[in-house]
Amino acid sequence: MDRLTIAGRQFDSRLMVGTGKFASPQIMAQAIEASGAQIVTVALRRIDLSDPNDRLLSAIDQTKVLLLPNTSGARDATEAVRLARLARAATGNPWIKLEVTPDPYSLLPDPVETLRAAEVLVKEGFVVLPYINADPILAKRLQDVGTATVMPLASPIGSNQGLKTRMSLELIIEQARVPVVVDAGLGLPSHAADAMEMGADAVLVNTAIATAADPVAMARAFRLAVKAGRLGYLAGPRGASRLAQASSPIEGLLQ
Amino acid sequence: MAMLKINGVERTFSDPLPRTLAELLQLLGVDAATVVAEIDGQIVRKESFGVTPLRDGQSIELVRFVGGG
Repeated sequence: MDRLTIAGRQFDSRLMVGTGKFASPQIMAQAIEASGAQIVTVALRRIDLSDPNDRLLSAIDQTKVLLLPNTSGARDATEAVRLARLARAATGNPWIKLEVTPDPYSLLPDPVETLRAAEVLVKEGFVVLPYINADPILAKRLQDVGTATVMPLASPIGSNQGLKTRMSLELIIEQARVPVVVDAGLGLPSHAADAMEMGADAVLVNTAIATAADPVAMARAFRLAVKAGRLGYLAGPRGASRLAQASSPIEGLLQ
Repeated sequence: MAMLKINGVERTFSDPLPRTLAELLQLLGVDAATVVAEIDGQIVRKESFGVTPLRDGQSIELVRFVGGG
């Protein structure tokens, strides 16, 4: 059985799903089900006291999926650590997707603050899954600090551009001793399959599923694409060649 | 008159303050099961909501999970 292991915990699914941007909690719940995801990300925000009812947690079956809170909104390490501690108080478990994105225009993660926060959180016993730009050196530094994974981006968050960071992702995957989860920018099932064929251990998808005309169907498409890509990787693909290579025998031709 | 700052907004109470954090949540109509609370920067454990007293001037953050990637 080919399973994903993160921090000693095993998962059958290599597709993680984000819960933002869905039209309703019901559609989100159906999409999670269709995706087969066993890890589902959530964000932490102030309660709106003019409308204090919970709409998210009641829609997620926590017996089937692990909640992975993120630190989105954090602009530096201090804010990220504070959010992580709050998240742990909420879930009762130490899993945290570390995100530090100080620039609201690019939403690119801050490498210095991310590394700083990771050091603190790992010492406090968190299982840290850091969201990073596709920087092989940073990935190595985080792995050395003791993060459970690295989560390099494929292209800017929510952009649906696919694997724009291919060369760096290849280097990260080659060097990694922890699972590599390609996160952000995967816009099509083929992008996810592509990442898995490269040897990524998992992918995380949110926008492409949540904003599709039919999110449930798209969730299923991503599920199949991730499976297909993984199987293709395990099957050992032959590399590309510059010139044609005949598939049919070139001997025994009729004269 | 007493004041609590809740999620960044000052709120005055003409009656006495709710005695505990649990009572405040009840007053606000917030389901305690889905909330994480911080009082003056310190996280309050869920089990302690009912025995955490409130004092005039405290800053309280009430957060919960929402959809996110």
